[in-house]
Parts: sequence; C-alpha cells; structure tokens
Amino acid sequence: MKRVRLDRWASQLQPPRNPRLQVQRCALSHETTTLPRRRDLHQQRQYITQTQWQCQRQPVSSKRKASTAAVLQEAGNEGESEASKLPSRNKKSTTPLYAPSHHTAARSAKLAALHARLSLPPKLPLQTLARCLVDPSADPRSDYNNAPFAILGQDLLGYHTTEHLTCHYPRLPMSVLFAAQYAFVGEATLASVRAEWGVEVVAAPGVEVDAGLLQLKRQVPGNSMVEGTGRRVKDMPGVRALGARLGGGRRNAEWNYRRGVSSRVVFDDEFGDLIGGEPYAGAQLSTSASEDGGAVDVEGGDGTTSSLPTLPQSPDDTEATTVSDASASFVRAVAGALYLHVGAAATRTFHRDHILSRQLDLHTMFNFTHPTRDLSRLCAREGFEPPVARLISETGRLSRTPVFVVGVYSGDNLLGEAAGASLNEGRVRAAAAALRSWYLYSPSKGEIVVPSEVEGMAAAGKGKEWKPQVIDVGEIVT
Amino acid sequence: MAFRLRPRPNQPEWKVNEQQAPLDEMYDSFVGHAGEAAQGQTGVESTKGRDLLPEEVKWLAITHKSFDHGRRGFNDRLAFLGKRIVYLQTSLALLRSPNPAPQVFTTRKERHSENINVFHHPALAGTENLTSFSKSQVLSPSRLARLAQSYGVDKVVRWKPKKAENLKGSGVETVLAHTVYSIIGALAMQRGGEVAARTARERILQPLGLR
Repeated sequence: MKRVRLDRWASQLQPPRNPRLQVQRCALSHETTTLPRRRDLHQQRQYITQTQWQCQRQPVSSKRKASTAAVLQEAGNEGESEASKLPSRNKKSTTPLYAPSHHTAARSAKLAALHARLSLPPKLPLQTLARCLVDPSADPRSDYNNAPFAILGQDLLGYHTTEHLTCHYPRLPMSVLFAAQYAFVGEATLASVRAEWGVEVVAAPGVEVDAGLLQLKRQVPGNSMVEGTGRRVKDMPGVRALGARLGGGRRNAEWNYRRGVSSRVVFDDEFGDLIGGEPYAGAQLSTSASEDGGAVDVEGGDGTTSSLPTLPQSPDDTEATTVSDASASFVRAVAGALYLHVGAAATRTFHRDHILSRQLDLHTMFNFTHPTRDLSRLCAREGFEPPVARLISETGRLSRTPVFVVGVYSGDNLLGEAAGASLNEGRVRAAAAALRSWYLYSPSKGEIVVPSEVEGMAAAGKGKEWKPQVIDVGEIVT
Repeated sequence: MAFRLRPRPNQPEWKVNEQQAPLDEMYDSFVGHAGEAAQGQTGVESTKGRDLLPEEVKWLAITHKSFDHGRRGFNDRLAFLGKRIVYLQTSLALLRSPNPAPQVFTTRKERHSENINVFHHPALAGTENLTSFSKSQVLSPSRLARLAQSYGVDKVVRWKPKKAENLKGSGVETVLAHTVYSIIGALAMQRGGEVAARTARERILQPLGLR
C-alpha cells in the first residue's frame, strides 16, 4: 500500500474560492482583505481614506456568473476600470488577452463536458472549441474570436438547409423558402440550440472566466432608460444607413423603391433580410460614433464606394451584441470548426443531427391573399381543367353556426377540400388548401438525392447514385 | 377583344433572344471543362455545357421574374441555391488563398510574443483571410455582371427592363448576377453538387481572382 502524501492532498482539502468575493491586494501591505462584492467605489474610497492605506488599488474583477442586473448596477458604480486594467496584469505577454488563453482551455471542465455531450469527434481540439465560444465583441482580433468559423459555418449550414428544402419541397414559394430557411438556421433557432446544448453565457467577458462559457459584450437593452434623460435607448435619435456598410449597394433601400422578393436573392442574406440588420423596415437605429468617424472609403471598380471600417483593437471599441446573435455565431462557428478540423462529412452529420432533426410545420407558413384567383391561374398554366367549387356536405344552414364542406374540383379530380362558416369561406379555404397541397409537393424519399451527397469524397466513398431532382418553374406570382 | 388602355411607354420595344443556338453557345462557354465532373452519370453523353441540362431547364435558368410577369416561370429558386453554393466555395477559396506579406517589420521576439496566445493548428491556416468584407468585395453584383457579360449571358437572358434605353438604371447588373447564380443552381439540381462546385470554382471564382 502506498504511503499517503499529505502534502499533495492538502491543497485539495481547502474550501473552494468564493467567486463572489472581491480580493483586494495592496502592494505595500502583507495582508489581503476581502470586501463584499456589491460595495460601490465611493464606499471603497471612504474605507481607504479611513484606514489611511497608501497603496494602489488593483481590484480583481470576478464577474463570473453574476446576473445581468447586478452587472448593470455595478457598471454605473465602478466605471470601466475592470476590463482596461486586466491586460496590464498579464506579466509575460505584450499582447493583451481578453478571453481565457488556449493553455487554460484544455483544463476547463465545462469545455470538456460540452465536447463530450455533443459527441464531437476527437479531431476537433478543445482549444478550437474554446475559440468558438469567443464572440468578436469580446475580442475583436480575428485570431482569437470565432468570426472566421462563424462565416464558414453559416455558409455550410445555409447550403445544407437550402439543398434539403429545394430537393424535398421543389415547389415552395420564395417567401416561404426564406421563412423556412430562417426557421431552420436563423438566429432565433440557433440561440435555442445553444440553450439546449447547455452552454451558459457570461455577464461580462474576461480572462478569468471559465473557457466553457460563451463570451460576449452584452448590449444595453433598448428599453432601458438613458441616464440624465427620460427617454429609452431605443427612442434616442439617430439613424444608421442600412445595407451600405459592407458595400451591399442596395438602391432599393431608398424610400421611393419597393424592395421585391426577387432582388433579395442577390442583395440580401440567406433569409431575405437586409444585411446591416434592421429589425423592421424603417426602424430607427442608434448611431455608432466609431463606425461613422473612423470609416475609410474604398473606391470600387465601377465607382461605387464601400466603407472599410477601421478595425477595433480592444473590447472597449467593439459594438455590443445580443445574446441571440452571439449564440448563433457560436453554433455556426462549431459547424465551421468541424469542417476545418474533421471534414465535410462531419459537418453534414452535425447539420442532420442538430438542424434537420427539428420539426417545422411548413403548412402553417403560407399566406394567400387571393387563393381562388391563384388556383385558377395555376390550373390554366398547368393545363388542368378550370377549378370548380362544389358543396360536398353541409349542416346548420339556417342556424347560427353553419358548416359547409366545399371541395374544389378540376374536372373529376378533387384538388382541395375545406370547411367554412359560409359558402364563400368554404370555397376560399378549399382553394387555399389546394394551393398548399401543390406547393408542398414532395417527391418520394427514394428519388431524393441532395447535391452535397455526391460532392467531393462522398461520391468516391459511399457510391450514392445521383438522380436529377425536380426543378419547378416557379410559383404563381400574385 | 382585348385592347390596351394605358399608352405605350416612349421607349424602344424590348426584344429577347428566342434562338436555341446562342443559348447553347453561352452554356458551353460558361461551363467549359468543369462539366467533366459529370462524366459517368447516367444519361450524360457529352460533357459540354449544352448537353448537361435539359431544354426546359436551360431556358428556365436564364428567365428572370420580370419576363412576362413571371407567367412562363422564373429562376429565383435556382438562384437561391446557386448563391449558397457560390458563397460556400468563396469562403473555401478565401481560406486557401495565400497570406499577404506582413507590411511591418517585426522582430522575432515581437512575433513570438504575439503568437504565444494564438492556438496554431495546420487545419486553421488561412482563417485570417475570411471576413465578410472580403467576401462581399469578391462577389459584388457588378463584378459578377462583368463576368456574365464575358460569357455572353447578357445576350440570352430573358427579362424586361424598366427602361429599355437605360439598362444600368433598370438593374441589368442585378439580373446578370442573379442569372449566374441560377445557372449554378440548375447544374446542382440536375447534375449534382460536384459539377456545380467545380463550375463555381473554375468558371466564377478563378476569373475573379480566387484559386
């Protein structure tokens, strides 16, 4: 039996450090004093003058898992001293660290647990997973944050989702296609995915937080009141130019243009939303001083100018983001990192397991204004007999709550059937049901082969035979 | 008898191509040698661009929604898929592109102290080239439109400009970029992801300067 080494054990028998207590170190004094966390700076100064300590204060921020409310309360009290003082405490390296370094990432229990929980392949190192958890608002340098992975991951997830939708539902109208794309890989969905994975979010980023937490600089909520005025943040004046930031050059953003659905494919993102991020058309957005003041104009080849923003160098200069945006970046970054380290097959598996496994009711996403007119034009285009509505059954015609079951027929074929409270309502609902059944047509499972299944090494390995997919001419333009 | 109530606009009448030959030539020049990735698929005799797609798909891919008010079909869905493919290939090409030489002379000690906190891995080479700005610069609609013109797409695309004598003001660049994406999408749906990706890499990104 081995001798017990008490010197090794002793360190593990100490009680865990309470992260809510602040530790104040004095250069001259030998003692360390712990003060309660919520004591504000004014009280601290009083305490110092009372005890007549001559040393400098270098408080260590331990905002590990405090709530947002506490952070916002303290932000007004303590000022910006915490984050800016941290880099100077790193003794060896000259470049500052704003997030835990990759050396500490390998020792994080949360990170290793996340890796195991998601059954990520061992080829994806913990250090890269740690980098995926750092949002650009927490550290703007592209070598330290997840921005490149997020861009690649967004392309991959978007591609796989689009090919799934176009191959399984070849007749889906464009507006429904955009909406379905958002429902599968949009920000709100990826934020829920992040929450379902059990990844927690820090109140504020820093070097000392655990590497397994999502780090971002949180945005001040739009409903919170601005100091000194009686107005909310969202009501403050100032409008940001939409879509012109990254050289999108969208003329349709002007007031006298109508932004159509077709042009969204070229100009806007994969969900049909303006790049530049307005919550709704005509939203008032706050100006950002660094964006307008520090922009360098780059002349494009054909005379259009696009602004190359001067890159922020520290978290003090970055724009704050919301939790859902940062969560979406994280999930996308994991997909991108998987592609880089493991390969395309792993990314496809990731997409299938986390995105395609989600249920989406496409039949609820339609909105028809004139279904009878559209159905009539569809039948004319396809060469069917003109649609005729016939009453299939009815009850309670003279009562307060009649029910009429109406079917729309093309010759003898029933296209769609629905019930309504009046004859007209039944007819309109039946036409809408017929249109929905046309647009939601899905080929049989044996006929569907998505393009990426025969791309690259997948073609060589699995030997899946390619079958040309159904290409539809397009929806009825209302 | 139907008659027109509104006066005809005071512009030359807009005519589009109805011939098969210019369309086939455009597909040949667009796809080039990238069609060889379709060798061995059932129903593919020759890998020239004109033989990779059936007739109705060839016409559909170059038909914009403005043509006949979308009554004869349009290429929006194909363009949506094609853009996703081109965007992905652009990201991968940016990752592969070589790093520019550092502008500032740094000492070895400085470089070491900068790099000590960055996790280096061979799989992560090239991530500094991938930014949304660089992507939007590569794939701006005006550059794609110029590329489409070099392939002869502007002579066969079926659309209706707002003003026949001012094509640029009517958005011809958008329509041409849209058509480029939709041809890639049509190749993906008809011939698979390998042909489409190879066409995007060799026929779109390489002429735009990305290997």
